[in-house]
Amino acid sequence: MELVDRYLQAVKFWLPKAQSEDIIAELSEDIRSQIEEKEGELGRQLNDTEVARILKQVGPPVFVANRFLPQRYLIGPVLFPIYKFVLKIATLGYLIPWVLVWIGLMTFSESYRAEHYSGSLFRAIGSLWSSLWFAAFISVGVVTIVFAVLERTQALAGPLQNWDPHKLPPVRDPNRIPRSSSITEFIVGVLFLIWWVDTFSSQTVLRFTAIQITLAPVWRYFFWGFLFLSVVNVALAAANLFHPQWSRLRAGVRLASDCAGSVLFCWLLKSNFLASITAPSVEASKTLAITNAINWWDTKMFPAAIVICVVIAASDVYRIIRIKETETRFTPGVAAAVL
Amino acid sequence: MVCVVHYMTHSGDGMMNAFENLRLEMRRGCLVLAVLASLRSEQYGYTLRKTLNDQAMEIDEGTLYPLLRRLESQGLLVSQWREEEKRNKRFYRLSPEGKKVLKQLLTEWDGMSSSLNEILKEQHHGAC
Repeated sequence: MELVDRYLQAVKFWLPKAQSEDIIAELSEDIRSQIEEKEGELGRQLNDTEVARILKQVGPPVFVANRFLPQRYLIGPVLFPIYKFVLKIATLGYLIPWVLVWIGLMTFSESYRAEHYSGSLFRAIGSLWSSLWFAAFISVGVVTIVFAVLERTQALAGPLQNWDPHKLPPVRDPNRIPRSSSITEFIVGVLFLIWWVDTFSSQTVLRFTAIQITLAPVWRYFFWGFLFLSVVNVALAAANLFHPQWSRLRAGVRLASDCAGSVLFCWLLKSNFLASITAPSVEASKTLAITNAINWWDTKMFPAAIVICVVIAASDVYRIIRIKETETRFTPGVAAAVL
Repeated sequence: MVCVVHYMTHSGDGMMNAFENLRLEMRRGCLVLAVLASLRSEQYGYTLRKTLNDQAMEIDEGTLYPLLRRLESQGLLVSQWREEEKRNKRFYRLSPEGKKVLKQLLTEWDGMSSSLNEILKEQHHGAC
């Protein structure tokens, strides 16, 4: 019976002290009854292997003990969907941009690459992980702790119970363009066009009260490029205002315009477009240093700009796919074929 | 061909798992009723388990004893440690409150059973 005692001791280890004696006495009685019955059938005492077989049937000690414990969880089933949603937001809003910036730096920044990449991809990923794990730990850890506290205090039970169907958000149509955003886009676009034409149409030298900024000749390309794109975007905003549902054509125009804008913007950052800054009260060496610093920072921003441009283009492509899917879903012929 | 065989065997596994899960879910509710009904007369854990097993309501120790404790903490059962055949055993029986609840549960069970039979009968006629 030593095996049974060892088994009961292992079960007892996982039980709450207040009930352990009682539970073990009852479980012990059951197991010994099983052994007795088997011994009655066989007409002899059971050997260790046979006792072990019975204990295996009863189950692993921790599982058996666990059945006697109340169901416990850090975050319960009511809060879990909200917790999962918040975790997703934290991941999308913090960790993914972090990884994207890292990829951008690794791809386009020679100095960063030289510092963190020593010929091995695994080491590079190791360097990403070493800088990312703390951010991941903090964001996931903080969210989990907050939700565990909410679960323990039941702080959300009241607000979740007192819900009002009228306060639910309206049905969302991802292909619908809010009028407010079209109007804002149109007004901002027109104001930008006026400012752009007024400021840069006939000059590459900008004069303010005491400062003169000279732009490089390459600026003319940017002037015409951004002018054209602004006109396209104002026209698109006007079209969206009167037809507030994305079509494949307009989504395609938006993608083309954003891609062209991205190329222009990234080129602008790399072009050293600022030729000189002149101010009578500042020494020439200082203004030259400022000019160089601005051009240098523009070049440094290039990797981040690439990442942002890729994200914008990806969201435009996703919009087109979504429109296509919606069209397929609501085409009567296709629906009938599916059914 | 290999893919078809793979799909058939694996989808069969999935169906068996689904059946097993649904069967366990269905049995879980019935077990409470079976335990309460069996404890109209006093029994200790091991004999109760044997009674249920003999009636094809198999239940293991890890399920029965926590269930008995839960029902006792809800006031539906009363228990008493007593010596029998030179061993201490814990005997359970229905409390007065448990008798009332069992009666209500059996009424509910009869209602559900006849409703289900009606639904199954309609389905059967519909299928014919």
